[in-house]
Amino acid sequence: MSASLVSWAAIVLEGVILLRGLRNHLIHRYFLFYVYVSFVLLVDIVRLCCYRFAPHFYSSVYWSAELLVIGASYIVVIEIFKQVLKHNPGTARLAENLLLIVFACTLVYAGSDLLGDQSLSLPHAIAELARDLRYIEAALLAVMLSLFVRYRISIGKNLRGLIVGYAFWVGINVMILSMWFLPGHQASVPLRRALPPAYLITLLIWCSALWATRPEPVSPAENEVERDYQILAARTRSMLARVSNGLVKAMRP
Amino acid sequence: MIGPFLAFVLGMVILALAFYILAGSSPKTSKPAVTVNDYAKAREGLELVLFETAAIETICSVEDLNFIARAGNDDVRRLFLKERKRLALLWLRKTQKVVAQLMDLHLRLASYTYDPNPGFELELNAKYGAFVVLSNIVLLVLWVAGPFKGRRSIAYAIRTSGHFCMVFSLRLERLNPTRLGSSRESLVH
Repeated sequence: MSASLVSWAAIVLEGVILLRGLRNHLIHRYFLFYVYVSFVLLVDIVRLCCYRFAPHFYSSVYWSAELLVIGASYIVVIEIFKQVLKHNPGTARLAENLLLIVFACTLVYAGSDLLGDQSLSLPHAIAELARDLRYIEAALLAVMLSLFVRYRISIGKNLRGLIVGYAFWVGINVMILSMWFLPGHQASVPLRRALPPAYLITLLIWCSALWATRPEPVSPAENEVERDYQILAARTRSMLARVSNGLVKAMRP
Repeated sequence: MIGPFLAFVLGMVILALAFYILAGSSPKTSKPAVTVNDYAKAREGLELVLFETAAIETICSVEDLNFIARAGNDDVRRLFLKERKRLALLWLRKTQKVVAQLMDLHLRLASYTYDPNPGFELELNAKYGAFVVLSNIVLLVLWVAGPFKGRRSIAYAIRTSGHFCMVFSLRLERLNPTRLGSSRESLVH
């Protein structure tokens, strides 16, 4: 599969995801995710133009763009967190604390690692920073997914597709990056070839999951017993009001 | 930063979790939300375990065994040991089942609680993990040695199940049942 064919396919699929999102109004529900897809589409177009018209700049443009895309992908983590836990305030608070701890630990560790190595060239330093950012993102995602699984949180079909696609992409990326930075990195060569098809698979997962709007899990506040309880409470309140009115009337001279 | 092997494992874990989420989406494997019925059953199960745990201490006491031994009839002694072993095994299996159900309920109820304590959650999960492993060992000890020779393991099982009962009892008391789904209608979908 040639590189430009994969780039074109990715651009087409990203465009389809955005258009379907606009058509079925999922763009309002998963706004941050669609911002990310739009950003990636823009970066892909810039990269493709650079590859065709200024190939000698491609390497530096690629790594700078990669860093921006990885940075932007954090908003997908925020989107997943926000959407999955919006009806689960208890788990949200627990996840928030855990994610903050994981984020702080990995950030400090990655920062010290990067600052400690002064001999790095700028492109290599950018590549290492991109790798570290991806590792932090992977750690956050792993903690978040573990909590979703452990606490049996129900997830709607659209969101599930979004999560599965994103987890697939981050998981494959981290595995390939781990090989990439090995001394000699011979093992990474066949794996690196798997990255563009993996991205296309991710886009296909998103495309099929977000093709149509599916119902979301119902909020706990909307269940029948809660409604019954509210009706009961309202009846009791009105009964008490009637009784106190009667009492007031009876006590008047 | 982190070693390539660790990063590779992290990637594998993420893929496995994604697959689990995808597999868990089928109607066969997905669990319905907690209903008032589940809550009532959990309370019943809890009370039953508390009652049976008190009874099993009497069942496994050596006084009965000594009384039977004094009678000197081997057949009666054998029958007595067989019955007590069966009772102890039944109790432990039932306790395991009830604790697993209560733990499942606790995890599914996390969404209804507004003040979960991360430290408490971590401790409870670790203790539950230890209980699962050790209760299976106790089960094996009971099956091999019987309730009278494995008294220390029985004492552990009684202590741990008592602890879990106390924790879950407090957990259920803090719960507002009106926030649960009715038995007719599930909370989600």
